[in-house]
Amino acid sequence: MSVETAYQYLYLGALIVLGILMGCMLIRSIIGPRITDRILCINMIGTLVICTIAILSRRQEEGYLVDISLIYAMISLLTVLILTSVYNRKRPDQDAGGTASAPDGAQPGSSEEESHG
Amino acid sequence: MKETFRSWINGETDPIEELLDSWEESDPDREERKSLSKERIRTFMEQPGELSAVRQIRNRYTRIYYIVAVLSCIFLSVVLLYTVSLMPGLGKVNPRATEVSDRYIEKGVEETGAVNAVAGMILDYRAFDTLGESHVLFTALICVMILLRIDRKNQRTGYEDYYTIRNDIYYDLSGDPILRTMGRALLPCILIYGIYILLNGQNSPGGGFSGGAVIGAGLILFSAAFGMKAADRFLNMKTCSVITFVSLAFYSFAKGYVFFIGANGLENPIPKGTPGAIFSGGMILPLDIAVGCVVSITMFGFYSLFRRGSIGMDVNYDSFSKKERKAGGEET
Amino acid sequence: MGEWIRFWIVAVILTAGILCFVLETVGIFRFGYVLNRMHAAGIGDTMGLLLIVLSLMIASGWSFDTGKLLLLIIFMWLTSPTSTHFLSMVEINTNPDIGSHVRKMRTDPDQDRGSV
Repeated sequence: MSVETAYQYLYLGALIVLGILMGCMLIRSIIGPRITDRILCINMIGTLVICTIAILSRRQEEGYLVDISLIYAMISLLTVLILTSVYNRKRPDQDAGGTASAPDGAQPGSSEEESHG
Repeated sequence: MKETFRSWINGETDPIEELLDSWEESDPDREERKSLSKERIRTFMEQPGELSAVRQIRNRYTRIYYIVAVLSCIFLSVVLLYTVSLMPGLGKVNPRATEVSDRYIEKGVEETGAVNAVAGMILDYRAFDTLGESHVLFTALICVMILLRIDRKNQRTGYEDYYTIRNDIYYDLSGDPILRTMGRALLPCILIYGIYILLNGQNSPGGGFSGGAVIGAGLILFSAAFGMKAADRFLNMKTCSVITFVSLAFYSFAKGYVFFIGANGLENPIPKGTPGAIFSGGMILPLDIAVGCVVSITMFGFYSLFRRGSIGMDVNYDSFSKKERKAGGEET
Repeated sequence: MGEWIRFWIVAVILTAGILCFVLETVGIFRFGYVLNRMHAAGIGDTMGLLLIVLSLMIASGWSFDTGKLLLLIIFMWLTSPTSTHFLSMVEINTNPDIGSHVRKMRTDPDQDRGSV
């Protein structure tokens, strides 16, 4: 067995394991009780995909695939940022000095209702 | 006629305003119907038997929904994996589609001057197709703008609320020091990387679409990290429309005539250069830049419109806010 | 022979990286709450990615790709803590019964002011 075939088998095995882990993450993101569980699992799938693409670039000897994994890392960061800004709301029972960075009553639903009436 | 057109361009009047049914004003008993439906829901909720039956049905359908969701996910992944398994391996001969690709591979570099065969294909052989794709993006941006844009016509609140809703309809991340530090470290790299992908499209994988996507993502990250106001300084509605229009017009003039002439078009005035250099590939580099501009503006425009209903503040925002205030004062 | 030594180094580091990811998955399934699961998720984001990309760097030798892989590590180490930070912020801001999972560090602000 030559070194090249050994490398191929090694990368193949790693890719298969990473694929199985991705499936597990998908299951967790389906059963995750809270929205943050789901976002966390999506983020983890992003990391796994980045590793998969990096291994694939080595397996096929194509260096440009690393560029794609860089782009993927940025997109996965953006996903979390935008989802965060969508789902972050102040708790109704929160006291005034709770978190300093929470917005004061920036609830679009209530203001829109006011404007209707 | 001219006056009407000018006032329409300036956004003062809308010639088809009477034709459209503005339901808000022509519907005086809307509040009445609203309260009536609320009353109906309240009486329905007070009946104990009905509510439990509804809950039962809902629980049953929730379970069915879960099962169907899982099954459709599995089905979709099986179909996609099967499709992947049908694809020919890397470097293998695909007997179904070799006639066109042989030509591209054999004569592509010679005829287009681009080392990257894909760039030569989509921006030279099939440039008209790519023109349609960029126009699709432009049309999508216009549709989102029609649906979501908040301007003086459809805003419902006063000046202060208007400003608040526009800026803080979602949680503002820009006050976060961690995000700011990370953005300061990463944003220049991201933007330079996007420009590299954009300009090197004819030599390496990438080109207009992916480079524009990276630049657009960088712009989104910028506006998330440093606030929408910082992004307003260089990107508002006017700059966005100018950039998009100039890019699309340039592309249309450069490649649209092929539609009328047919075949390969006219002789290209720009030299092809040596394959592999930055300035090679004739028209591919300018077309790449045009496509990249359209894609990045579209991405940022989607984000900005979904986030707060406009791209940048309106140009003549101050004047109309004064008008609004005066009108409000007269009413009260 | 030298090639084989390099292969075994790559194999060991790559397997360690994959093991990190397996550990992460086990942790994500075993822990009971999001803020605990984030600890498990951090293993894969930092150590797993580092080990896998390091093994690929060793395998590829000294070339232009090595720099890009190094860039990938730096990029991920900058971005993934940021996203985790925002996730925990969302959790603390939106969970109505956060008090049953997290001990409140800050007491009443009036009392704080009085003590200082």
